[in-house]
Amino acid sequence: MADEVKAVAEAQPKEKLFSKKNKRTLLEPFSDNNPITFQVLGICSALATTVQMRTALVMTLAVIFVLSLSNVTVSLLRKFIPSKIRIIVELAVVATLVILVDQILKAYLYDISKQLSVFVGLIITNCIILGRAEAFALQNKAWPSFLDGLGNGLGYGWILMVIATGREILGSGSIMGFSIIPESLYAAGYENMGLMVLAPGAFILLGLLIWAQRSITKTVHE
Amino acid sequence: MLEHYLSLFLKSVFVENIVLAFFLGMCSFLAVSKKVETAFGLGLAVIFVLTITAPMNWIIHEYLLREGAMIWISKSLAGMDLSFLNFITFIATIAAMVQLVEMVIDKYSPTLYAALGIFLPLIAVNCAILGSSLFMVEREYNLPETAVFGFGAGFGFFLAIVSIAAIRYKTRYSNVPAGLKGLGLAMLITGLMSMAFMLFSGIQL
Amino acid sequence: MQHSNAYTFRFAAMVTIVCSVLLAGAATLLKPRQDENKLLDKKKNILISVGIEPVNGENFTRSEINETYANRIKELVIDLKGNIVEGKKPSDLDPGKDTELLPIYESIKDGEISAYVLPVSGKGLWSTINGYLALSSDGVTVKGITFYSHGETPGLGGEIEKEWFTNNFIGKKIADENGTLVSINVVKGKVDPASEKAIHQVDGISGATLTANGVSNFLKEDLKTYEPFLKTIMNLKGGV
Repeated sequence: MADEVKAVAEAQPKEKLFSKKNKRTLLEPFSDNNPITFQVLGICSALATTVQMRTALVMTLAVIFVLSLSNVTVSLLRKFIPSKIRIIVELAVVATLVILVDQILKAYLYDISKQLSVFVGLIITNCIILGRAEAFALQNKAWPSFLDGLGNGLGYGWILMVIATGREILGSGSIMGFSIIPESLYAAGYENMGLMVLAPGAFILLGLLIWAQRSITKTVHE
Repeated sequence: MLEHYLSLFLKSVFVENIVLAFFLGMCSFLAVSKKVETAFGLGLAVIFVLTITAPMNWIIHEYLLREGAMIWISKSLAGMDLSFLNFITFIATIAAMVQLVEMVIDKYSPTLYAALGIFLPLIAVNCAILGSSLFMVEREYNLPETAVFGFGAGFGFFLAIVSIAAIRYKTRYSNVPAGLKGLGLAMLITGLMSMAFMLFSGIQL
Repeated sequence: MQHSNAYTFRFAAMVTIVCSVLLAGAATLLKPRQDENKLLDKKKNILISVGIEPVNGENFTRSEINETYANRIKELVIDLKGNIVEGKKPSDLDPGKDTELLPIYESIKDGEISAYVLPVSGKGLWSTINGYLALSSDGVTVKGITFYSHGETPGLGGEIEKEWFTNNFIGKKIADENGTLVSINVVKGKVDPASEKAIHQVDGISGATLTANGVSNFLKEDLKTYEPFLKTIMNLKGGV
């Protein structure tokens, strides 16, 4: 982590838009440095919105939007922010962006904003956002910070979507709200798994996902 | 009336535990649960901060932000609706309160500071704290209800983090598949705990 | 980086001003549409409760809601004795002051009243649940029910807004054969079809007994306040 930050910070000013380092900044969060499964950040709001794929998708988009913009803003301000009030300024930037998202959702996607309820607000305390601002945006230029935000947002998003897909298929027998389990199967005695809709289902699915991912990448923590 | 508050308290501790049913505060729940002592410290700090900030935010919401809240200043302000500032005000209050609590403890009780000190800054970004403030708005609690809910949610967090720390301590030397060690196992245990806490939903009060 | 206190203050003030201007701007700009959304959501739920389906596709378009609502729904206000108060609309009512007046909606089909829609609301497990209960023109049989806002746990109490739950209400009766109000009870588990009370009961939601109890309670209370009005309808139709 530290090496990567240094490497990008020391990059030449004339660097290409998609240099190797920048590409790594963008792609690393997908597997090797995934915010959820490796950095253990942002699980709070991640799980609550995964009962259905639609809400998970909107949540992902909202997080990507807030994360990349907050990274850019913090990065642009990094030379001016007094270190004493660093955290609170970052919080103010993030909170402003989140309120914007919330207002837009209420105006244009009313049904979904009703379902997400308080969880949009909780993006503010999503540790990924503040964590990336602190760890990356404060030391880097705007463009790499944007890529870092985008990469981490997408890395967060795909885990969210995998869990949501699993929970929706097993728990409600549908994908994106469309039923996919044929009626004949229900007639034969198949039942939707109520557990998946509830909180334990999310925990267990995420646990299994982390297990699978760590077995493939052969990373062992602790 | 007492029964009502008792039932609200039990609901927020067990049936709808803030960590195990709403996933709030998961980050610190997983990060600080490797040792029982530190989990105990963080748990206490969360109870403390939640019990203070939830009623504080209630007062701010009720008298400043809510639609028509500022009618007590003058009648002409009746149409003001500042509720879009909810998030930013709540988080600012929480950050300020945490800072204040830290300074007060530092000054008057060095022993308590030594125990809680390092956890307090962490708490400002704990979703459980902001989440409770947002829930109390959405559920339209009154002031005593908010206080009970804040304390209950904090206590629920305390209970959950101390128990998982104890379980993780026990499983530290267990022979589990390499990929499952650490976070993976912790998530599975959390899932099982969450199921156990849900059993309380059968209780009628 | 070390900065002077004055700089820190100036910076903080700048951030505050920029953020608040941005937010206030966005809020004022989007407010009308948000308020309209809330209103549309209510209208849509009134339409769904009486069983009006969107003409094409799964969802109503915004203009379709307004149009259908204007054609099919008549807004009325009644007093506690069940008399219609002329010249008032539900939107004129101030929920704080006008406790003596109640809103009610009539669904008109081919010039005749096909259903009465009553707003129902009350406490569930966590939050205030709001919904609409539609009764057929006999004033006894349930035509449909919708819940449009609640803060119950998704997957548990939150299931009340799902069709599998609300569909159970259709065809149930709120009064017995003598016209005495019984209301509808959400039972724990499944309704026993052999029971005499089955016509006044619907299946519960497993794991959400407290939400279900809340629903039963506020349905009963709200129906009680509307009882005088419902009685006049039942009498008009010559009893049950």
